[in-house]
Amino acid sequence: MRPLDWIVLGGSLAGIALYGVWRSRGSRTTQQYLLADRQMPWYAMALSIMATQASAITFISTTGQSYADGMRFVQMYLGLPLAMILISAFAVPRFHGAGVFTAYEYLEQRFDAKTRALAGLIFLLSRGLAVGVALSAPAVVLTVILGWPSQWTTLVMGALVVAYTASGGIAAVTWTEFVQMLVMTAGVLAALLTVIFLLPAEVGLPQALSLAGAAGKLNAAVWRFDPSDQYNIWSGLIGGMFLALSYFGCDQSQVQRYLTGRSVAQSRLGLLFNGVAKIPMQFFILFTGAMVFVFYVYTQPPVVFHPQAMRALERQPQFAQLNQEYGRVFEQRRAAAQRLDLAAFRQAQARLDEVRARALSQAGKAMGQERVNDTNYVFLWFVVHHIPAGVVGLIMAAIFAAAMSTISAEINSLATVSMVDVYRRFFRRDERDSHYLSASRWLTVFWGAYAIVTALYAQNLGSLVEAVNRLGSLFYGTLLGVFVLAFFFPRVRGTAAFLSMIAGEAAVFAVWHFTGLAFLWLNAIGCVAVVLSGCLLSLRPRGTA
Amino acid sequence: MSTNEEKPPFLGSWRRIYAGLALYLAAVIALFTWFTWSWNR
Repeated sequence: MRPLDWIVLGGSLAGIALYGVWRSRGSRTTQQYLLADRQMPWYAMALSIMATQASAITFISTTGQSYADGMRFVQMYLGLPLAMILISAFAVPRFHGAGVFTAYEYLEQRFDAKTRALAGLIFLLSRGLAVGVALSAPAVVLTVILGWPSQWTTLVMGALVVAYTASGGIAAVTWTEFVQMLVMTAGVLAALLTVIFLLPAEVGLPQALSLAGAAGKLNAAVWRFDPSDQYNIWSGLIGGMFLALSYFGCDQSQVQRYLTGRSVAQSRLGLLFNGVAKIPMQFFILFTGAMVFVFYVYTQPPVVFHPQAMRALERQPQFAQLNQEYGRVFEQRRAAAQRLDLAAFRQAQARLDEVRARALSQAGKAMGQERVNDTNYVFLWFVVHHIPAGVVGLIMAAIFAAAMSTISAEINSLATVSMVDVYRRFFRRDERDSHYLSASRWLTVFWGAYAIVTALYAQNLGSLVEAVNRLGSLFYGTLLGVFVLAFFFPRVRGTAAFLSMIAGEAAVFAVWHFTGLAFLWLNAIGCVAVVLSGCLLSLRPRGTA
Repeated sequence: MSTNEEKPPFLGSWRRIYAGLALYLAAVIALFTWFTWSWNR
């Protein structure tokens, strides 16, 4: 990072935090602090919803995923527009009409206190596990690539987020996310234009697309159905829709965004904009990764992008031979690309993939792992080693913005659920509003501190971090199921809903443990299991359900 | 707060907006299929 990059990065971070504090000045009631007085315009909600979704690790690893596996990841978002339609039509008017602070508060109005408590607990458990990871993951990657001490990256990012989130509440979160989303969009466009500009002069866009396509990187639509495959049209449309329904319909970090809308129409527009804009946004991020691949067709990259893994590999006796073979196959591929001989290019690409797989395996063994995955390091390597000064700072600002937007939304929603669904519901029911406002601020500080501490600890947990992330996704289908029961099955009562959530969760864990089904399908299975259990339990004679 | 019946600022009704979004999705899938077919050869 050069001085100009530091100026761009520092200026962006400070500017975003100050803007959030300024826009949210004067939050004097709980309603203002937790719901922005229900006065948010649709465009602020729209970009805020998108920013909450885009975490730093998604930003970093999506481009790397495209480099390694092609653009098929974009299909995961195909169910999103359908989910936005369903949530706009059925969830938004109900939540607005109920006048609730949290989605789980609605469950008590519809069912009972124990169903609300269980849903709130599931949210706190799954989001609480994820929030530290969301903070630690980008810090670890930035440390490995840039050499920054991860503790300091975590502390600086965490402290900034806690400062503006605790100070301004949801209004600060929403307005900072609005700016953060603009910074992210600028970062994506800057990266895409720069990589295209950096291609050799004789390589036009059609030739770049031919090469990326020949290597299988432009596979944006895969029609073959395979239940164990995460990314195809079918899993994207059906599994992706259930995932988006669960996330946007039941996760407080998203529900709270559209509860701040000044009307049902404004909240709907915010959600529907997300349904329109998210797929092109992901497409361009993935396309950037595909163009980074083409860039490295002409410029030799390291055999392994993970710097620590590369150092471990270099210490192995077989490294010199492996590296020589890699260089030779790289030259064959470059020559084939220059001749635009796609058959030879594909053959060389297959050999290069095989050499890289061996290198990753050997690096993994040297590090005491089965295999190293370096997809998270591809994009940052490209940014740090090839992008001009100033643009690096902008892209780093975009990555920080993505991290901070997710974390601020998470600690804000965790604090809201802790205050509304736990503290105010079960411990102090009749206090003055100023008491709850103060409690909300302190709970925000608590969850922020918790996020920082778990992030510092999570950095030493390695693969457990991934396990925790996956674990969080096991709960979404159950939450969706109980809201489907609440909206569409008036005969189902509190105890049946409560028991069906437990049954649904058991079904999800059983499927996850005993089958190799792709995790996108677990949301659908959890939802269906809860709805079926709820209906079956409600068939019993009155008084026994 | 406004009611559920509030009209959208364009297209006249929410049903039309939802139908428009569904058509948009169909167009995106068609575009992705063409994109994949055109360059993955």
